[in-house]
Amino acid sequence: MKLLILLFITIINVFGSSKDDGCIKCHKDIVHRIDNSIMNNMHGVLDVLKYQFKETKTIEQTLGINYLKNKPSSKQTLAENHFSKLCAACHIDQDETIFNPNYHTPRGGGCVTCHRVEGVKGIDKIHKNLTTKIPSKNCLKCHNRSNRIGLSYFGKFESEGYGTPYKNGKLTHSIDRGRYYYELPADIHHTSAKLDCIDCHTEKGVMGDGKQHKHMEDSVDISCVDCHDAKFENTSKFGLAGMLIGLNGNMPYPKEIAVTKRKNSPLYQLQKEDDNITFYRKRDGKEFDISKMSDAPYHSSKNHERLDCTACHSSWIPSCYGCHEVYFKNGKQYDWIKHKKTKGKWMELRSYLRYESPALAIGYNEKIMPTAPGCQVITSIYDKNITNEGFHSFAYGAWDPHTTQKQSRGCVDCHFNPQTLGLGAGILDIKDNNITFQPYFNSVQSGLPISYPIDSLISKDGKQFQSFSRDKARGFNKKEVSKIVEVYKCIICHNKWDDKIYTDFKVSKELFYDKKTKCAKDILK
Amino acid sequence: MRLLILFLLPLVLYSNECLVCHPKKMKQCENSNHFTLKNSINITRQTWGIKDSNVTLQTLPEPRVKIEKPSNLVDDFLRRKCLKCHLNSKTINKTNNLCLSCHSRHIDKYDFKKAKPTQKKCLKCHNNEFVGTDYLGLFPHDYDKAYRSPISKDGYYPNKQYGIDFHHLSSDIHFQKGLSCVDCHNKKGNKSWEDKVDCKSCHQKISKSNHKNYHEKISCNTCHSSWSSSSYELNVLRDDTKDYNQWKRLTVQEDIYLEKFLKKALKSKIKPNPKMPDYLTNKLKDGIWYSGWKFRRWENIFLVNDKNGKIKIARPMFQYRISYKDKNEKMILDDVYKIDNKKIEAFIPYSPHTITKKAKSCEMCHENRIMLDKGLINSDILKGRVINGSPFSNGQLEKLRSDFYKKERAKLLFK
Repeated sequence: MKLLILLFITIINVFGSSKDDGCIKCHKDIVHRIDNSIMNNMHGVLDVLKYQFKETKTIEQTLGINYLKNKPSSKQTLAENHFSKLCAACHIDQDETIFNPNYHTPRGGGCVTCHRVEGVKGIDKIHKNLTTKIPSKNCLKCHNRSNRIGLSYFGKFESEGYGTPYKNGKLTHSIDRGRYYYELPADIHHTSAKLDCIDCHTEKGVMGDGKQHKHMEDSVDISCVDCHDAKFENTSKFGLAGMLIGLNGNMPYPKEIAVTKRKNSPLYQLQKEDDNITFYRKRDGKEFDISKMSDAPYHSSKNHERLDCTACHSSWIPSCYGCHEVYFKNGKQYDWIKHKKTKGKWMELRSYLRYESPALAIGYNEKIMPTAPGCQVITSIYDKNITNEGFHSFAYGAWDPHTTQKQSRGCVDCHFNPQTLGLGAGILDIKDNNITFQPYFNSVQSGLPISYPIDSLISKDGKQFQSFSRDKARGFNKKEVSKIVEVYKCIICHNKWDDKIYTDFKVSKELFYDKKTKCAKDILK
Repeated sequence: MRLLILFLLPLVLYSNECLVCHPKKMKQCENSNHFTLKNSINITRQTWGIKDSNVTLQTLPEPRVKIEKPSNLVDDFLRRKCLKCHLNSKTINKTNNLCLSCHSRHIDKYDFKKAKPTQKKCLKCHNNEFVGTDYLGLFPHDYDKAYRSPISKDGYYPNKQYGIDFHHLSSDIHFQKGLSCVDCHNKKGNKSWEDKVDCKSCHQKISKSNHKNYHEKISCNTCHSSWSSSSYELNVLRDDTKDYNQWKRLTVQEDIYLEKFLKKALKSKIKPNPKMPDYLTNKLKDGIWYSGWKFRRWENIFLVNDKNGKIKIARPMFQYRISYKDKNEKMILDDVYKIDNKKIEAFIPYSPHTITKKAKSCEMCHENRIMLDKGLINSDILKGRVINGSPFSNGQLEKLRSDFYKKERAKLLFK
């Protein structure tokens, strides 16, 4: 084992303060992967933004930050200007010295943005303050905006900005300047085991696999089943596993380790020795049993085969409605790529926030997933004469909100909840066998440039009002809405999964409509 | 006519000219809740720890000087935060004639309709999270400056009404048909104009097939209102220091005076002393009352029994968290949210004025997550102690999911 560690240390001889001037000497492969990764280039964000700002007809892959580095400010498109001013502060290769710690959390600096922990001894003398046991707070330097995964995992919901409750006469629960949160249930992986981000997210998933993936989800390696329905392989097949186990130093070298299904990379912290399966927390080696996914009907039934785990097991999703982007052509604002103030200034306003009843839609993986606005852009563009020539572009995004709970959502919460179906808040009913829906929100009266309610992804007839920035993602169509609601008619009495009518639901329905069941005789006339 | 005006002019200037023709009206008005505001005043004083409070606007004590507990501070809070709205408030009626707070002038008996209180006058007070502006479909925006949206086409922030930006939700059907407040809230027969309106006084013919006997305890409003206004955890802080910077993004405090004061204070190099008016005396007093919510929602509906045994919709009013920092920066009260070890909260039965012809679906009550779901997020603040009524009993909760309900509902679904 010591040999392995020494070997690794020799390979990674000169860790410096930036990937360019130090780490690359020994970690050429990793640095190459990082160079192409989405966390370095941020092209996932830029490309979607350009698409959403209607500058490209399809999502066209660029080189992100690298593409904009050499593009003169005067030639930037509106989306590119927006990206440079508001989004580009976060990327691995950002110069961390540009941040004033009184106003912004410093981030960037290359490898050290994740691997450096002040006060930690580090791997050896060369790697002072550097670790592979990356604390989640390093990830949160960036992952606290947009879909807010980093906040949600820890049970923090970015609030309406009240900073309540007041303590000692001061606003509390600050995230950073002007942003506040309140507590909601944290992800079960945090509440029950205090797992860090790196306990699930593999080195390949985070630092990339060398390919320039179009979107973040293409880079991600881990999936729920990798642990909860794990596939084990002989550890000796994975040299990387041995190296990382040695470097971690808190866990044994087992016979078998789990392997991710997406990228076939070693999940060395999930180990199998004989028939015993143990999960080791990377931070300290604390051991946990992994609960295996049950094969009860609620998981094995074909009726729910299109559901992603997140559809049922996510308890809330941060939903930010109305992203009002105000652009002052003649203003000046700091460009996070060029590191100086350039022409054009942005101000962002909102409509309202919610966290309840995550809506569902078909996600990027063609499975049913939680969805929320992402983003509903309404621009107002001003030059000296205050002329408004804005455009609007309303979209939803589907993602794993990282608010996992063991307890799943109830049947009615999906099958007869207008918010879950994507209709938005309002009164959903069935009258004379037709679905009726009366929405609460009035966008036109609220001064918005859309005719449908701001929280309506689809109409009751499955007409999609708002777009997605993924090819395969969409709201439920007419057939799906009607199928989901149709099941509710049975759920009202048969609200348990082990109810025999769901063993073969098609046959059960036929028997019912043929009045061959007891309840049909009472109900059908 | 000119003679009449000349005759009335001295009365206009020196007294209430209305009383010349309506001598008894002032007596009636003085007994009204609109004049005494005793309901709102006493509910607030009770929730802040004054047992058996029974005062009116006219007998409200001067605020205590020595503050040790919330009950010592409530009268100051009422005067400076809530009682902006009262009949002789200068913010709603700049004349000395009390009647003109609600009514408008008319000249003779032939144009008496002019005196009818207009909706605009009612809404001067009945706005925000209270019943009133909900009739128009209005729901207040959050305070942070990020919610000053959308930017209008001419390049400005939206126009505030009553110091508030509003979302527009579905409006009440009576509003859509052109009715104003006093078309329903009026004096008829033995009924006082302040008595609750009985829908059946107009809607006498209702279909029996849609209004079953088993729902006879439910008020019409419970099924026929659409959304409902619920505001959770009202945090209030009286701060006698010049600590203005933390309110930079929160200058919208739903108080026009305070918003102007804070904007000015934040810009000035020499910070002004913290002062805001006592709206009863209109004199500036030391200290600023700041406020902020946990969150506000229009979707959260749950049911309670009112004091007459009718089933109605409930809303929080309010779940106070109270702080007081004196001028020496000493925290006299620091986030007090319990009195006598009980949370300061009160849910009251109410009637959202968001009526629709189409009633709620059965599920909105019978599958109501706030009442039935034990695993609900934030369930501790979504429901609580009910005043002027009682929460649903276990028996009532069981009935929501009874076999009888399921069968009846299934019949409708498969109709």
